Amino acid sequence: MIKITINKKEILAKRGETVLEVAQRQGIYIPTLCYHKDLVPYGGCRLCIVEVKGWSVPVASCTLPVQDGMVVKTDTPRLKKLRRFSLQLILSEHPHACLICDKEEECVQYQECIAKSAVTFGCKFCARNGDCELQELVEKLGIKEIPFEFSYRNLEIEKFDPFFERDYNLCVLCGRCVRMCQEVRGAGILDFQHRGPETLVGTAYNLSHLEAGCQFCGACVDVCPTGALRDRYSKWLGSPQRSVKTTCALCNIGCSININVRANTVVSSTPDNNQICVRGRFGIAPLVHHPKRIISPMLRKGERLVEVEWEEAFDFVCSKVVEHKGKTGILFSPQLTIEAINSVYGLADHLKCEKLATTSALETNLKPLDLKGFRGNLVFVIVNTDMISDFSPLLLKLRSPQKIKPVFIVIDAVDSKLTQIVDLWLRPELGKEVDVLKLLFAQKKMKNTTAVSTRDIKLGKDLLKKKNIYLLYNPYNIENITVPKYVKKIPLTAKINTLKIIDMGVDSPTMDLLQDKNIDCLYLLGTAPKLNWKYKTIIVQDCFPPQFRFDLFLPTATFAEVNGSVVNIEGKIKRIRKAIEPLGKSKSDDWIIAQISKRLNHNTKNRKPKKRKTIISAIAKTKKVSEKYPIHLIVRENGYSYRGHRLATLMKGFERLRGDNCVWLNNRTAKKSKIKDGAEIKIIGRTLNLVMPARVTEDVPENSVLVYYHPSMGAVNSQPVRITKKDKQR
Amino acid sequence: MKPALIISAGTCGLARGAEALIKAAKDYQRKRRLHREFEIKITGCHGLCEAEPNILVHFNGKFIFYQKLKPENVKDIIEKTILKGTIIKEFLWFDSETRKRYVDIDEIPFYQKQKRILLGHNVLIEPKYIKDYMKFGGYSAVGKVLKKYRPLDVINIIKKSGLRGRGGAGFPTGKKWELCQKAKSSEKYVVCNADEGDPGAYMDRSLLEGNSHSVIEGIIIGAYAIGAQEGIIYVRNEYPLAIRNLGIALKQAHNKGFLGKNILKSKFNFEITVVRGAGAFVCGEETALLTSIEGRVGRPKPRPPYPTESGLWGKPTNINNVETWANIPQIISKGAEWFSGIGTKRSKGTKIFSLVGKINNTGLVEVPMGITLREIIDEIGGGIPGGKEFKAVQTGGPSGGCIPKSLLDLPIDYESLTKAGSMMGSGGMIVMDEDTCMVDIARYFLDFSLHESCGKCPSCRLGTKQMVEILDRITEGEGKEGDIEFLENIGKNVKLASLCGLGQTAANPVLTTIKYFRDEYLAHIKEKRCPALVCKSLISYVIDSELCGGCTICAKNCPSDAITGEPKGIYTIDQKKCTKCGICFTICPSKFKAVKKVSPPIK
Repeated sequence: MIKITINKKEILAKRGETVLEVAQRQGIYIPTLCYHKDLVPYGGCRLCIVEVKGWSVPVASCTLPVQDGMVVKTDTPRLKKLRRFSLQLILSEHPHACLICDKEEECVQYQECIAKSAVTFGCKFCARNGDCELQELVEKLGIKEIPFEFSYRNLEIEKFDPFFERDYNLCVLCGRCVRMCQEVRGAGILDFQHRGPETLVGTAYNLSHLEAGCQFCGACVDVCPTGALRDRYSKWLGSPQRSVKTTCALCNIGCSININVRANTVVSSTPDNNQICVRGRFGIAPLVHHPKRIISPMLRKGERLVEVEWEEAFDFVCSKVVEHKGKTGILFSPQLTIEAINSVYGLADHLKCEKLATTSALETNLKPLDLKGFRGNLVFVIVNTDMISDFSPLLLKLRSPQKIKPVFIVIDAVDSKLTQIVDLWLRPELGKEVDVLKLLFAQKKMKNTTAVSTRDIKLGKDLLKKKNIYLLYNPYNIENITVPKYVKKIPLTAKINTLKIIDMGVDSPTMDLLQDKNIDCLYLLGTAPKLNWKYKTIIVQDCFPPQFRFDLFLPTATFAEVNGSVVNIEGKIKRIRKAIEPLGKSKSDDWIIAQISKRLNHNTKNRKPKKRKTIISAIAKTKKVSEKYPIHLIVRENGYSYRGHRLATLMKGFERLRGDNCVWLNNRTAKKSKIKDGAEIKIIGRTLNLVMPARVTEDVPENSVLVYYHPSMGAVNSQPVRITKKDKQR
Repeated sequence: MKPALIISAGTCGLARGAEALIKAAKDYQRKRRLHREFEIKITGCHGLCEAEPNILVHFNGKFIFYQKLKPENVKDIIEKTILKGTIIKEFLWFDSETRKRYVDIDEIPFYQKQKRILLGHNVLIEPKYIKDYMKFGGYSAVGKVLKKYRPLDVINIIKKSGLRGRGGAGFPTGKKWELCQKAKSSEKYVVCNADEGDPGAYMDRSLLEGNSHSVIEGIIIGAYAIGAQEGIIYVRNEYPLAIRNLGIALKQAHNKGFLGKNILKSKFNFEITVVRGAGAFVCGEETALLTSIEGRVGRPKPRPPYPTESGLWGKPTNINNVETWANIPQIISKGAEWFSGIGTKRSKGTKIFSLVGKINNTGLVEVPMGITLREIIDEIGGGIPGGKEFKAVQTGGPSGGCIPKSLLDLPIDYESLTKAGSMMGSGGMIVMDEDTCMVDIARYFLDFSLHESCGKCPSCRLGTKQMVEILDRITEGEGKEGDIEFLENIGKNVKLASLCGLGQTAANPVLTTIKYFRDEYLAHIKEKRCPALVCKSLISYVIDSELCGGCTICAKNCPSDAITGEPKGIYTIDQKKCTKCGICFTICPSKFKAVKKVSPPIK
């Protein structure tokens, strides 16, 4: 502990702390702009300057480490003058008509600008009005006028990227977004361009964010002190009135988030002092208020779907399940709450239903992930899993600064943003990933039959030496792997609650259930798989309508509208809290099932659902290509879906970012088959016939195509296929 | 010693045609098979730019200085001077001040007043050959240090010598080394700052081109004293010849065992690499330079921590300027007392200045500290050309200030220049005569700083921008009452609120010109008049009817047909049509000199 004096007050401080940190802890106000608690101090805005005894020039307190006996003053007249000077200069480049306007009252009264300033020069039409750090600073520093000439950058607002817009006319160059992107997210998409008065924030070569490889985590938007970066969806929804701390159920990590609400509308969802990904940041509000949502029960009467009351809907369900007793199949999504899953099992027990299945990738040796267990000299070998798009908050935790920098090795035939940031990328041919693993862990010399050079294998072996090795893989994306015992296997699956379902067990893998000809009545809870034939009755319980014909639609609320819990990849039970009341007549899953159970005289209380046998779900197996089927089909788990629907089909932004509703193919392969980007193509295999739009990319190896599995595609396994243009068949 | 033809072939010499001289000399030597009779030495810059391309003929112990040569003159020089020993008078240096011709280089007034302890070897050493350098005691200092001294002894010698950083700020070098030496780390770096960016300054370039071994030797000694294993020379990419010569010198030093493992059979290992700067003025600031070496955008970082604690890659790093490093071997060889014997009480040794602008003898001058500005300008520089009046001298480049005539007897050292509102800087010295508008010159320097600002602090990025806009207005005749006070106010705030040296000094040219030439600002603002007749918006061109000879030249050449009149009569300029291009002013035959500039402009 050392002693310093701030404003004649003696304060104890820790070595390594900055003067600003000490002052803030003591409640001494020092204005800041470029400072952010999560970022490395930058010292750029010059607002936090202080005077130190013995120094002739004021220094920025955010970067000033405390020294024993330091005497600091934070509010001398000279400092106040210099701070005002710096802020006035910043405002000479930032529209400030409203900031220094003295007609504020009339403005509110008449809803019209009396000063007749242009729309772009004021705060009134800025999305951050009222929630802006510059407004706060102007108030705190008491700025009444700007003595400097105003210069407007007159740049076009950048609207061409999904999820957020950028108006660099409002940017004050504090560099928070740049530092967030580089330091915290490790993405490095943003940096400063040019210098001097031309300085701007942007991407390399001025590419769009999408082209530059941005993953749209939105962390830059959240640290921007002005309206320069703004969430497109919530821009005009007004500032939130309250926020509800809950859990994002869109993937297996289950990040804590805050859902921000105004009236009964979800405005946005933001991280809760943590790092989240694009799904949690930009996916939730548009999902909840999606125009395609059905919010009242719909019953098919004759050919027409008719809006009905819940009573009538329940009567229909009860009559059908009784009618088809023993012949009812239940397929549920893992993205329900634990409570809902429990009641589904309860209902299945009561109905003596032996046909219960889920649409998640399951693996019996899936164990809770222990994040605290990663210690020492770490090596992470990541196989066939794009951790950046699917598990970025987890990857950030693994990459976070530690005493010894962990080593990352990727084994994947498919390229992704991940391969650019890891220490070593081994790119074998498809299906040879397991062989590369064998080579890496081989004790004796082994013949290398893969496309990976022996030199790279040696590099990998050197990286693995005397370290704690963890193997991260998505069990869905690779066949059974065997590694030595000292290597800890960590399977990662994309859907939340998978651990819960493995614990409970299911009766059959998804697709087997749909192959079962004995099923007459299908009860789909939050799933919309491809159906192979007509069923007598189809009951759908979901938020959005499926593609196929159904008999009854029970509208459910999304996870933002219910109370409950989920279990994440670490085995932690996380609370889901109701942020808004369910929209329209929609209800929570557990309420609907409870109502059905009640009508079937089933007492849901105090009864534990019975466990079922667990069956390992689909496993990738690569077969050799033949002349008839010359192309490899790679199937990967899709981490971008909610209940029965891909986020890409619901929201344009996700389609542009992920494109997982498309089949990805190499540009040379595309050229050979004369397929253009976006064209519909047919994928034909021995047991397969798919039609999907094409996405031409460099990421996929030649002579192979990649699809992200979704139940609506039916049973799709990795296999040799051939591809043709769709219109050729006509 | 064999007679020698020593050709000055630094970048400046090459630009003035030294290449052709070299070719002519070599061709003639080959043609006449004169290899035994004389040798050709291609050296770095000799310092007197005005005389370029020049040749020194080493003959009979004399160094005969021939100036402003053409390729065809080389034949004469070889035939007459080298073979016959006659001196060709018309090639000799003619001093405009003394109106005399001088034979030997040492007799020329430009060189006489100088003390060329660093630049002196430039005329003797062919930079391509390490042997040349070693002939004059080169690398003996490294040997001395490694055999005789412990690291702390070296630091004590440097401290005792009183050497201060030549990059501008003048921090005591020995103290800096000591701080870095004391910092605890297994890895340390030494860096040579050769990112010389001041307009019109080329001291470092000349040293690196002409005698890079002296810099390398200094760095090796510094690294030994500090305990660094790696050295980096950060050179701006605009110095291709310096980079090439450095590369050759490093290779040779390596081959001779002055670099690499176990240097001169000691336990000391050291390597030097060259990093080329991508061309930003701000990278001359030490923290920005380090970030640039690390491969990131060159932007200054706040200090503390100072680079001596946490510099390159977070390790203790000692950064010194080229000139500082070049002083080290001399101090070690000749002793701290010898060095501290030169200069003033607080500023020791010599300083190289690049003397440019409105001066007769432009060139690189190395003078002992404490010499007055008047001595440099009048005696070494040979005064102002064309009989014009001296007005001011800008020292320290765009970060320095303008020093007026009244302060010409100021002895040059770090403190006195700072007191005058300017600074030592890296050594730029721009002389201005009565035809220079001080408002315009302040605007020029400030505009330079503005565009070279990294853009990090609002005070520097936007404060200087506001000042440039005001100065623009003043030079355009739109100046307002209160502008001067506003400029002063912004300037003082920019000085205090900025993070790095660039911002803290950017306002200096404006503040000093206001301090010393306030009346010129007032003339611009109140009378809409430019006393130096420079600011375009504030002048008009007129034809003096008494002088005009009616030769029609001006009317024929006027691009906007603004000049009318009868041949052999008197011509007049239509002010409404005139675009003030100035062609008539320059083209009017000297026998008439009828076109005049007047200010305030005629409406």
